[in-house]
Amino acid sequence: MDRRKFVQFGVAAGGALLASQAFGQNAKPGAAPARPSPKRAVFPGGQVAVTTPNGVTLPLKEKDGLKIGHLVAMPVKHTFAPGLEGDCWGYNGRTPGPTIEVVEGDRVRIYVTNKLPEPTTVHWHGVILPNGMDGVSGLNQRPIKTGETFVYEFTFRHPGTYMYHPHFDEMTQMALGMMGMIVVHPKRPKGPPVDRDFVLMTHEWKITPGSRRPDPNEMTDFNVLTFNSKAFPGTEPLVVGRGERVRIRFGNLSAMDHHPIHFHGLTFETTWTDGGEIPAAARHPETTVLVPVGSTRVIEFVPDELGDWAFHCHMTHHVMNQMGHGMPVMVGANARKIDPRVQSLVPSYMTMGQTGMGDMAEMGMPVPKNSIPMGGGPGPFGSIDMGGMFTILKVRESPETADPKGWYTHPKGTQAERAEDALLKADGIDPDATFG
Amino acid sequence: MTTRPFFSFSALALALGLSAGCASASLPQHVGEVNDIFTARNRRDLAVSVPGEDEDWEKTAAEVPKLLGKPLDADGAVRIALAQNRELRAAFYEIGIARGRFVQAGLPPNPEIDLSVRRPNDPTQPLQLDIGIEYNLSGLLILPLRKGVAEAELAAERLRVAGQVLDMAYTTRAAFYTVQARQQELDLRDRALKAFQAGFAAAEELSRVGNLPDVDLATQRAAVESARVDVAEAENRLLDARETLNVALGLSGEQTRWSIEARLPDPPAEALVFERVEERAVASSFELQELDARMRVASKRAGLARTEGNLPHISGGFHGERDASVWEIGGHVTVGLPIFDRNQGTVLSARSEFGAQRERYLATATALRATVRTAQNRVESTGRRARHYREVVLPAREKALAETVLQYNAMQVSVFQVLDSQRQVTQTGLTYVETLLEYWNARAALDQILAGRHRGLALGPAGAPRTNLPSGGDSAAAGH
Repeated sequence: MDRRKFVQFGVAAGGALLASQAFGQNAKPGAAPARPSPKRAVFPGGQVAVTTPNGVTLPLKEKDGLKIGHLVAMPVKHTFAPGLEGDCWGYNGRTPGPTIEVVEGDRVRIYVTNKLPEPTTVHWHGVILPNGMDGVSGLNQRPIKTGETFVYEFTFRHPGTYMYHPHFDEMTQMALGMMGMIVVHPKRPKGPPVDRDFVLMTHEWKITPGSRRPDPNEMTDFNVLTFNSKAFPGTEPLVVGRGERVRIRFGNLSAMDHHPIHFHGLTFETTWTDGGEIPAAARHPETTVLVPVGSTRVIEFVPDELGDWAFHCHMTHHVMNQMGHGMPVMVGANARKIDPRVQSLVPSYMTMGQTGMGDMAEMGMPVPKNSIPMGGGPGPFGSIDMGGMFTILKVRESPETADPKGWYTHPKGTQAERAEDALLKADGIDPDATFG
Repeated sequence: MTTRPFFSFSALALALGLSAGCASASLPQHVGEVNDIFTARNRRDLAVSVPGEDEDWEKTAAEVPKLLGKPLDADGAVRIALAQNRELRAAFYEIGIARGRFVQAGLPPNPEIDLSVRRPNDPTQPLQLDIGIEYNLSGLLILPLRKGVAEAELAAERLRVAGQVLDMAYTTRAAFYTVQARQQELDLRDRALKAFQAGFAAAEELSRVGNLPDVDLATQRAAVESARVDVAEAENRLLDARETLNVALGLSGEQTRWSIEARLPDPPAEALVFERVEERAVASSFELQELDARMRVASKRAGLARTEGNLPHISGGFHGERDASVWEIGGHVTVGLPIFDRNQGTVLSARSEFGAQRERYLATATALRATVRTAQNRVESTGRRARHYREVVLPAREKALAETVLQYNAMQVSVFQVLDSQRQVTQTGLTYVETLLEYWNARAALDQILAGRHRGLALGPAGAPRTNLPSGGDSAAAGH
């Protein structure tokens, strides 16, 4: 199969999910599992097409040796998680915009139409290209006015994982969700081929509970942390097979925060940065990869333990949804000393957090409309009280047929459970032991 | 010669009896005359009740204990004031003063009898006896005019006292509204205190478990103590208002233990339509009618003075002289010549008084029209504001509180901010009460004007005074 056919097949396969969706605007969050269906090798050297959980790949049509795509910068209605919708900006009706997936050496012609209420540009973050295509407004080009369509044309000379975003009014446009990932497959891949190739873009937002518009002015207090603009439980799990080689490409266009992404149940090696491939000799095993602001990191691993494995940003506030910090610490307080007095004035008041905050997601307290404060998602053993930049890696024997929404069934004896009194006694454990 | 008396004692007795009858008007009669004025105006609610006899002046009207036996309302308070207020009774006695002048003015001059005895130097001559009677004829002629002046003064006095009845009703109604407002203010201040106490309780508990710095605890404590002072001040304002109403009601001792239950009523849902208010106010004005009556008094007084000045003083009489054994009888007429004193000064004064009353009438009419427009504007403005507070601001504050609770549930804000939002509801309630008080005062004032009285209205400056939360109001910082 020559390269052109590769590309055509890739477009057909990658675009299959998009066939009925004009630019993917109508994609239903969570409707498709976060894995290729079926897994297909469509790029040189048997490289599989990337999967963008909760997202799509940009359709590219080939003409005269060019791959032609179209990005439309536009306002979008976006659901971060059930219960939280945002008035965002993005590309082709979504945030992040479609993943641009090409092969090293591909020349692309990307049309950019501006349907925003202000000018914009597109910067191809990390891509080495002619200066006039770099997209910095005022420096490399004039801004694209509302209603105008610009064309960018350049060659992806280097394989790697990159990003795209505006370089006009960056603070506002990125804060509102304008960003996307770029995957440039090597023409001649080295190393073991991967079976799964995922793209996850991290981002952070400030959306006051009860409001809809992310706040571009915020500098420190971000309360919605996302993978591909989705907060758990809105994030689609990643379904992989035991023994499969899995690649995850992280990109970070957060405003202010780096994200240490921690994996449970496996170790990985960081194989690429946005600067290029890391030599095999320089790689080392880790369980947490730090993805700095404005950078990409690519990790690879081979899971050998079945199960539902959490992976998430390890900054604890980055796995909370919209929780504020404008209140005193209530831990340890006696609610009976407070509630009667306050309830005589505000009957619906109830002191919270005096025994910790872990069970708040299940309390079902009425909250402002269009908000998901403190909410996590349902798990097989109760509520998962994390949100935000959290998702699940589902390692299955048969990933192609596994239900991506189903939970792992633990073999007997492989799950923590309540200790019986007899066992405690036999092992000399006194649960009432006191210390200090 | 037969001696006959100049007048019979029976005629004298009749004259005395008639004059005594004219002077027998009592307090109930004065009250009845004023009540008749209100009855004619279809305002029986302003009828004053007093004991049946002057001798019972210290008695309490029968309806007063009944009205005091249950929680007072505004109409009941007015009834009590009209029955019990002693300033008002004093005003009714002043009608008696005017009536006394009227009766006095209608009495004819008394005849004068002159007796003299002379002993001649000649001892043979008998004792000389002279007897004469003299009567002021010009006084008799002028009597109808004097009576007319006094009658006009009596009419003016009735109108003045009727105006005082209105004043009393208005003052009482306004004082009652003030008591209601101050009671509500006290309740709301107490509610604000409870909010601060709740905040302090929360701060104390958080401090106890080591979650709150002392500065926040101290701030909460300071807010509670400031709010406590505000409650005490509101309590004092209520007590003052009660005493003002007690004065209006004429109550003291055990009778001051009355209570009220009702709150200040909300304003009507729809704005009231007032038509031809200026015309109605002018037509019903006791002040204008009194001034009109005073003009008539001045006019009559001028006429009287002019007549008195031009009419020669005439008196006539008869006299008898007993000389030896015979009576010599004769008569005489005395005529004063109006050459120099023709009452020119008195006439001038009376005419000037007439002019002054006329100008005062016009000035009063102008002021009356302005006052009625002011009152109407105030009723409409305060009514709109009160409805806006009730229908828009209060619900908005309550919505803000509900949303703050949701934000609290979402762990965005603290219990202190919830309580602060609740206090904003209370604050709005306080402003609403003040606006409501202004509205009902304005309504009472407009009613007062349309009933016939425009002076002494306590409309005050426009706009309800801004009620302030206790000085520690901005306490949401605790816990931040």
